[in-house]
Amino acid sequence: MSNTIDFFSAMEVSASGLSAQRTRMNVAASNLANAQTTRGADGGPYKRRDVVLSAANAPSAEGTTFAGSVKTVEVQQISQDTAPPRLEYDPGHPDANAQGYVAYPNINPVEEMVDMITASRAYEAGITTMSTAVNMAERALGIGK
Amino acid sequence: MSVKFSTIDSLQAAMTFHRERHTVLAGNIANLDTPGFKPLDLQRTTPAEGTQLAVTEDGHIATTAASSGVVTSFSDGGQLQGADGNAVELERELSKIDANRTRYATASELVSRRVALLRYAAGDGT
Repeated sequence: MSNTIDFFSAMEVSASGLSAQRTRMNVAASNLANAQTTRGADGGPYKRRDVVLSAANAPSAEGTTFAGSVKTVEVQQISQDTAPPRLEYDPGHPDANAQGYVAYPNINPVEEMVDMITASRAYEAGITTMSTAVNMAERALGIGK
Repeated sequence: MSVKFSTIDSLQAAMTFHRERHTVLAGNIANLDTPGFKPLDLQRTTPAEGTQLAVTEDGHIATTAASSGVVTSFSDGGQLQGADGNAVELERELSKIDANRTRYATASELVSRRVALLRYAAGDGT
């Protein structure tokens, strides 16, 4: 196409980061909400979810001398944690096994909270980057006024 | 381009470069949590000696290197690296973004002044 890129590319890149961080936030919230879920989709206890991110080349940078260095981010998959469940002795629980142990999801609330905080901070950084792009575009529009 | 617009031309090249660099830096921020990601940056190389017109007389006008520089990317690996191989340092990237924004603002301000000057001249000094 052209050998340059416009401001919308910068905003597209920032938007990909924002949506990735929002996904992380949703997954952390889902893990927290299901910390005590003993009946997940597959019958067993809920399995902790993890977001797998990967960098991708922004299509708008094709044809430039620096193509391949403009990177967006995408959620490659939401994987399930394979860690074994946490066993707790509670013979009265309907999901207790023959020995009286209940299998709870292996979720550490502190870990999830830390994940949420880092996602939130990264989201804020993305917002800052996007408003910088908007600010620069406004600067350009102000030329000659 | 004629003499009058050569300044604007090189400023425009600078603005384009800073806009492109912002996009690359925004990519670093977007990949703050991508495992194994190394931050990238853009640089503008000035053309090699000999590709510019020589200035041998006082009346000659120097061609601006700025308008013909080649933009290339390079890996700007931060010193810190997390357990997942990600080497993006948030503060470093944000300060680069801010410095880049300021340079862009400076260039656009200079274009504005230049245009105002031309307008003043074209308007017969009124």
